[in-house]
Amino acid sequence: MSSTISDLTIDSSTVVLGIETSCDETAASLVIGGNDVLSSVVASQLEIHARFGGVVPEIASRAHLEAITPVISQAVEKSGLSFDRVDAVAATVGPGLIGALLVGVAAAKSVALVLDVPFVGVNHLEAHLYAAMLDDPNVEFPLLVLLVSGGNTLLVEVREHGVYKIVGQTRDDAAGEAFDKVARFLDLGYPGGPAIDALAKTGDAAAIDFPRAMLNDGLDVSFSGLKTAVINHVRKYPESKTKDIAASFQAAVVDVLVAKTLRAAENLGARTVAIGGGVAANSYLRSEISVACARKDFRVVLPSLTMCTDNAAMIASAGWHRLRLTGATALDAGAYPNLGLTVAQK
Amino acid sequence: MIVLAIDTSTDAVSVAINNSKQLLASAHVTSDRRHAELLTPMIKSVSQQADIAMFEIDVVAVDIGPGLFTGMRVGIASAKTIAQVLDIPIIGISSLDILARSVVATQRVVLATIDARRGELYWAMYRNDLGPSIEVKPPVVGKVSDCVADLVDRGQSALIVGNGAQRHQNAMSESLEATGLSIEWASEQLAQPSANVLAIIAAELALHEQWQTCVEVQALYLRAPDAEINWQTRVNS
Ligand SMILES: [Zn+2]
Repeated sequence: MSSTISDLTIDSSTVVLGIETSCDETAASLVIGGNDVLSSVVASQLEIHARFGGVVPEIASRAHLEAITPVISQAVEKSGLSFDRVDAVAATVGPGLIGALLVGVAAAKSVALVLDVPFVGVNHLEAHLYAAMLDDPNVEFPLLVLLVSGGNTLLVEVREHGVYKIVGQTRDDAAGEAFDKVARFLDLGYPGGPAIDALAKTGDAAAIDFPRAMLNDGLDVSFSGLKTAVINHVRKYPESKTKDIAASFQAAVVDVLVAKTLRAAENLGARTVAIGGGVAANSYLRSEISVACARKDFRVVLPSLTMCTDNAAMIASAGWHRLRLTGATALDAGAYPNLGLTVAQK
Repeated sequence: MIVLAIDTSTDAVSVAINNSKQLLASAHVTSDRRHAELLTPMIKSVSQQADIAMFEIDVVAVDIGPGLFTGMRVGIASAKTIAQVLDIPIIGISSLDILARSVVATQRVVLATIDARRGELYWAMYRNDLGPSIEVKPPVVGKVSDCVADLVDRGQSALIVGNGAQRHQNAMSESLEATGLSIEWASEQLAQPSANVLAIIAAELALHEQWQTCVEVQALYLRAPDAEINWQTRVNS
């Protein structure tokens, strides 16, 4: 039988059920001891949203409600354990789509209530930081993390567990958003990241010299000018090859991200750099940041592709650490769509 | 048979536990869209009040809508998950069925309504003359004027219940007056479906094992997502 809330100690035998529903993946996972992934199930809604060219919140919420029960069942089954071995339940409470988040939060709190185990609300961004560490548990602090997804572009200093400082971010579009918008403009479909990545492999990255905004100016980034430059270029030179545009655009984004990440790591005195978020699956970013880190003798942590995109193993892992750091979250917690990374948690 | 009933399809959160003979405990809070925050602690306190441990619950009943999408989903996700972890059956009942059952037996046709916002209603009609209410007109969503026309079509004296019609009572009364139909309005206290009534309906169905699994139970939206509606319009034009 699981421990009751009052006498739970969080250690290497603690099993956390993680639940993630912040955007367009319904996911559940069982993780033991904070980093040993017993199961990780992800039901993607990619196909449901593809024809709309982006995630539609109401459609996402409906799909989460349909998927949540089977996804939790599969995660428990695949772990080889049963519900009564679950010691705590973690769910993403933000940031994300409110209606989507609430499905996971309601399910997680219900599991916690029935099993009489702690519930812990997890910050989705913090979980992405733990995704990098899940694949490489020997990561040393201080650590510089580049978190790049459809909703975020952040440079985060991690001095120790739970202590973060955002030192750089986008002034306008997130990196993934820039990929989606340019892909839509080039008629490459949704999601834009993988489409541009694939096409760019066949193109010439030096064909067009797109602007690298703010390259030598602080740690913030900006991608809206780049998007405009792509549009202007196509209007001016309609004969240019789409594969060259894709490769040159991608190179412009990656050059800026890599330069800023390395500068931030140097400022922090970090010897290790990690990347996370959906855009961290981009093959050009992965190879360029590896080369740049090798040159500076930095260790680079490249999470597996399944740990870059949204999953619940990272939620369970972050939840395990959160329980150790700040304890359980009250059952009257809701969802916080605009939750920031450095906001103090209960 | 211990029934836990959950209702979050309007701007109220309602929880009840009965033992199929009587209500053991219940709570009803108007939530102003704080369904997620309120529901789990309310289930906990109602079960404590009823002196029922979670593992003693035999069946979970939930209002599946129509109503507030986000509120409905909080209740359905919670009910499904409770049933899943306890490995017990679940009974999903529509908000309109619950409303119809909440009024007294009558010879009138019962028009149950839920506010659908944007000047629209969800509605269905029932016969409530002998025992459990029987649906005589399946649930739909539409304009207030369509609901009135539906009632006029039926040409029967009616008892109207629910927060949908209540919100539009003036407009509906006005257009119904001219028709000469005899209209009765249910008490304002019955405007929102209640978990107490849901628990009674569920206890009856549970006797005949008329239940579902936690995977089977689905929300009753009646209205497609806006993006879907816009997409269909674009495709058809
Ligand atoms: Zn994410």
